[in-house]
Amino acid sequence: MSLGIGLAAVLLIAAVAALFGFRRARALRTGGARLHSLPIYHASHAALWVLLPALLFLAVWTPVQNSLVDQAVLSSPEGKALPSFDMQREAILDEAREIANGDREAGFNPQSSALAPRFRQAESRYATAGAAVALLLAFGAAAFALRRTAPQFRARTSVERWLMGLLVAASLIAILTTLGILLSLLFESIRFFKLVSPAEFIFGTQWSPQMAMRADQAGSSGAFGSIPLFWGTAFIGAIIAMIVAIPLGLMSAIYLTQYAHPRVRSWMKPMLEILAGIPTVVYGYFAALTVAPAVRDLGLSLGVTSASSESALAAGLVMGVMIIPFISSMADDSIAAVPQAMRDGSLAMGATKSETIRKVVLPAALPGVVGGVLLAVSRAIGETMIVVMAAGLAANLTANPFASVTTVTTQIVQLLTGDQEFDSAKTLAAFALGLVLFLITLALNLIALTVVRKYREAYE
Amino acid sequence: MNSRWTDGSMQARVRKRYAAERRFRFAGLFAVGLSMLFLAILLFTMASRGLGGFTQFEAALPIDFAKTDLFLDPAALRGPDADQTIAGTDLEGAISKAAAETFGPSAEQMFGAAAARNLGRRLLKDPGLLERRETFWLPVGSAIDVAAKHDGDAAAEKLVAQLQSKDQLRRRFNLDFLTASDATDPSAVGVWGALKGSFLTMLVTMVLAFPIGVLSAVYLEEFASRNRWTDAIEVSINNLAAVPSIIFGLLGLAVFLNVMHLPRSAPLVGGLTLALMTMPVIVIAGRNAIKSVPPSIRDAALGIGASKMQVVFHHVLPLALPGILTGTIIGMARALGETAPLLMIGMRAFIASPPSGISEPASVLPVQIFLWSDEVSRGFVEKTSAAIIVLLLFMLTMNGLAIYLRNRFERRW
Repeated sequence: MSLGIGLAAVLLIAAVAALFGFRRARALRTGGARLHSLPIYHASHAALWVLLPALLFLAVWTPVQNSLVDQAVLSSPEGKALPSFDMQREAILDEAREIANGDREAGFNPQSSALAPRFRQAESRYATAGAAVALLLAFGAAAFALRRTAPQFRARTSVERWLMGLLVAASLIAILTTLGILLSLLFESIRFFKLVSPAEFIFGTQWSPQMAMRADQAGSSGAFGSIPLFWGTAFIGAIIAMIVAIPLGLMSAIYLTQYAHPRVRSWMKPMLEILAGIPTVVYGYFAALTVAPAVRDLGLSLGVTSASSESALAAGLVMGVMIIPFISSMADDSIAAVPQAMRDGSLAMGATKSETIRKVVLPAALPGVVGGVLLAVSRAIGETMIVVMAAGLAANLTANPFASVTTVTTQIVQLLTGDQEFDSAKTLAAFALGLVLFLITLALNLIALTVVRKYREAYE
Repeated sequence: MNSRWTDGSMQARVRKRYAAERRFRFAGLFAVGLSMLFLAILLFTMASRGLGGFTQFEAALPIDFAKTDLFLDPAALRGPDADQTIAGTDLEGAISKAAAETFGPSAEQMFGAAAARNLGRRLLKDPGLLERRETFWLPVGSAIDVAAKHDGDAAAEKLVAQLQSKDQLRRRFNLDFLTASDATDPSAVGVWGALKGSFLTMLVTMVLAFPIGVLSAVYLEEFASRNRWTDAIEVSINNLAAVPSIIFGLLGLAVFLNVMHLPRSAPLVGGLTLALMTMPVIVIAGRNAIKSVPPSIRDAALGIGASKMQVVFHHVLPLALPGILTGTIIGMARALGETAPLLMIGMRAFIASPPSGISEPASVLPVQIFLWSDEVSRGFVEKTSAAIIVLLLFMLTMNGLAIYLRNRFERRW
């Protein structure tokens, strides 16, 4: 009997218990008793009592079972014959597990085929035990819950308490995710900094993560100075993209809120938002296919001989376009929040509309706009696909927009998508880069939110 | 002061200010126009390059199976192992031999994997074909296909001209593009495998992110008292909504793959990762929707004796549901187009068959686009753009659905 069958049985028992609970409560009511809770609550109460302990047990048991099976297999005579070298043993065990599950016909290694029956045996033994315990729990809980069905029993209160626990648990997942991100990045980064000194990582200007297999190979050094990456990221995301996105986004927002006829606005704004909804991989493809060659030709015609087909300018331009609707909608919100009285006052003094906007509305909306721009920067530097597809891999420290630079996200993808061991400095470097990226975007978001919040309070 | 409205200098100043006003207004219009222009160029580029990917050229090829050196027995094709028999036959070799005989030695490489697949399917349907000479319309290989669409090299163009002059070339809708999976030959690729992977991934994302998101929105908006815990929850949700997606990929790699040993490149892991990313979006949308339900509804329900839970689950939540669903669909659309986190968890392998479950290796549509965009073969340019059209259609449908829901069901109080 497998755990899947156990799970199905638990669900079935829960349904049956709910049905009995409902029937019993209804029978009590037709018998003339005044129930504290409606029959449906008695039913839910029974079902929850059956489900929660049994499911919790199964959730805990599944990983425990896996390690128990591993132990049982290793202590069998065939298991003891395995090589003691960790990686090799793991590989054989994995293979044997796949054969036992029927995912694979025969193993690459003859030992794994011999181990497969052991695996199947141990697995079926422990799965049967686990399922049996789960069933016992379910039956016990069902009996306990159903016995409590009585007119004065507060089934609703009990069910609501369970429900409350569920709500709290659901909202704790956000915290767990944040912690998970922080811990996993920190953990791997610490391992990285054991191999490479933090000073080299933060202040180094050489980035060439290719660790050679043999010491005598060319370029075997492996340099992890991250400055060129952060410069490239800032150059594309915070400079070029913003030069495109801030004027266009801001002017679009001003035009749509202050000048455009409501009917024009009502179809132009969604059109602009389509730009935000286009997947970044599409932008990346567009940048690589259409924009990059055009930019290179432009560079060559301007006499820039080093113009690369993976220029910073191409990636930055397309990223800027992607950010336009983002800045536009943030500016839109903060312009709309400027009190009408300020606008009216300026217009009444004889200022033209553009003078009012430039001298009164924009200064009043500035904190919101700045907050929006900061959020946009944080988004641009975390953006991955456009730079992976359109920016280069060469870590250059250059301010020439026609040259190729590389970014943090490009390198993370590059470092992690090859076939290499997980423990090498190369893969761990990706986590260190991720950690710095996470902290930078976190700081930008916090500053932006503070700026926006302060501003909101000023006019309410 | 002796300046007056009728003064020349004053009028000149007013004219100047009005000119500045017009310039400013024009700059605004220009900004909107430029953004729209960019959108138009992008969509036009994708459409003009990609629409060709939905069609395919076919050439008429007479094959006499008696003369080929295939040892195929019609009886075997009627038996239970027919699929394996066909898969084990060198149909591609037979086709290229027939092509060389019919169109000359330069046409040997004219057909590709798509033609073999097509022929195999027809033989399965009618094994009797093996006993006679028959002319088949078979999809041509990528080189010829590209040449027929006016973008190929000289040799292929010549062959195309030769075929066209004899009326042996026709253009057909490429149904295989919608029903096949990834392949090494661009003439044989399709998006179905990636689409199915995307569906499964979205399913996992939806099943996890929607209930968790709605429940935490309910808790934060209706039950949580303001204290350090709820502040921490709120801060983490707002931050998670702005964390770069690639960081979620790193989390998925470190936790789901390296610690929990879940299967690599499976929709299960992809869905889990994307669920963590989508959940904050749903929570924020859900909170706004719940906030907009007027307090009078709650008061009325409480007034006739409903418990706090009943108020929320029987009255507030149903009224907030359209808003929550709108936010959910928008979050799901974003997850559907997400590529970077899925690359991190290994969803970039070459997968030639659609996944049959959530723990099978799979590809998803945006990653498929990324992988094809990396291919050097010219035939892939068109296929990549065609896949982008499919992806954009899905995104537009989802966003359209969200707008429809918002307009149709959202109530103003």
